[in-house]
Amino acid sequence: MPNDEPGYRLMRRVALGEEDAVAELYDRYCALVFKLSIQFLSNNAEAEDAVQEIFVRLWKTADRFDPRKAKLVTWVMLITRRHLIDRIRKKTVRPKQQEYTEYNEVSATESPLPSNIVVHERNAQLWEALQSLSEIQRTVIERAYFQGFTLREVSRQLDTPLGTVKSALSRGLLRLRERGLKDASSI
Amino acid sequence: MTNETYNPKQLLELAVLDAYGLLEPIESDLFNHSFHDAPATIQDEIKQMQEDLALDDSLLPADMPPTSLRKKVLDAVAETADKEAQRLAPLALIGARASAAQAKLGSSKQAAFWRTAAVVLFGVTVVLAIITLDAQRKANQSAQIAINTSTNNAINDMVGSEFAKYVGNPYCQVVRLEREDGSATGYLRIAMNERFGNGYVIGIDLEENEEIIIRGTTANGEVIELTRITGDSPIVGREFIIDPALVGGMTIAAIDAKTGKRWV
Repeated sequence: MPNDEPGYRLMRRVALGEEDAVAELYDRYCALVFKLSIQFLSNNAEAEDAVQEIFVRLWKTADRFDPRKAKLVTWVMLITRRHLIDRIRKKTVRPKQQEYTEYNEVSATESPLPSNIVVHERNAQLWEALQSLSEIQRTVIERAYFQGFTLREVSRQLDTPLGTVKSALSRGLLRLRERGLKDASSI
Repeated sequence: MTNETYNPKQLLELAVLDAYGLLEPIESDLFNHSFHDAPATIQDEIKQMQEDLALDDSLLPADMPPTSLRKKVLDAVAETADKEAQRLAPLALIGARASAAQAKLGSSKQAAFWRTAAVVLFGVTVVLAIITLDAQRKANQSAQIAINTSTNNAINDMVGSEFAKYVGNPYCQVVRLEREDGSATGYLRIAMNERFGNGYVIGIDLEENEEIIIRGTTANGEVIELTRITGDSPIVGREFIIDPALVGGMTIAAIDAKTGKRWV
């Protein structure tokens, strides 16, 4: 284990329950964690609750961070995303297969913005970026990422091979990022 | 153990889904296994890509967290940690309670079993908190005075005597796992002795007959099944053996044998 890796050292201290270490972890990543939480959830209060839960989860899982596999920020955001997806899965009543089949037949021209994201100025950039994707990329991102369906569920809903769903999701997420960077650089 | 691996091209494509937490548990394990087998250049490329994705806030809202949130977060973490510590408070009484319960058992064997089980269940919960805290927090005085002979004896009756070798053992690393989706109760505590290569897993409140696979990923990325436990009683425990040479740097995970759902 690379004991000299700064992220590893920090997470060992977090695992030991050192308050200074938890504070350092918060100071480093609170902005990213909060922004992602507020993108997923419907209001600030929910986002703040989620941030608290996420840092508790980071404390609980601190001893599992492996710097050989990922940088610390990657781990923090992975835990954050998993938590938010879990939260959505718990609170959302999701359409059944038949309803999704019907949805597929009429949804091509509808808003790609995920239904659980408040249509708000804060998500306007995301909405525009989603519009730039192909239909399948947009659909799989909406369902797998923002609505919390597993990839197998999405595959069944769309009657599309799992490999195709994975490829569309991977490429769509990369394309979203490219679009975001492009927009940011043009400001 | 699995021999299947992703090739570098597949790894790079799945790296995005891995970073976003979208791979299912089995795929995630396979990804990790393949990652460790991949050439260093591919590993570096994946780590860099995933870091870039994690840091990218170009499509995130501009909102910043309120300053008051910092204290709330620190308090929430401290409160969670304290809740574990609070389990220790009544521990000094457990021995006395166990002795008293055993003295009052009378002639009903069934009543005796359930009364003892209740005491033992409480005792095991607290002892698990202790071994967790031993590993993850500074030991406090209540923890040090809490483990007494009566408690150990009571727990021995339930899960066997092997567990005692791991309590307070400085060579043991302890991992605690809970259901990732929080869908039900249940806890796993896995203690591994880094010196001698043996370990112990205790499961509490598992669902009836659910089977959990405990697996380790070695420093070389090899995935090894360490043991399995089945929820056939409120508390289940099992010792396992592993080559000591593999323990260093090993990461522990667990999955449901039927559903593949992950414990983290």
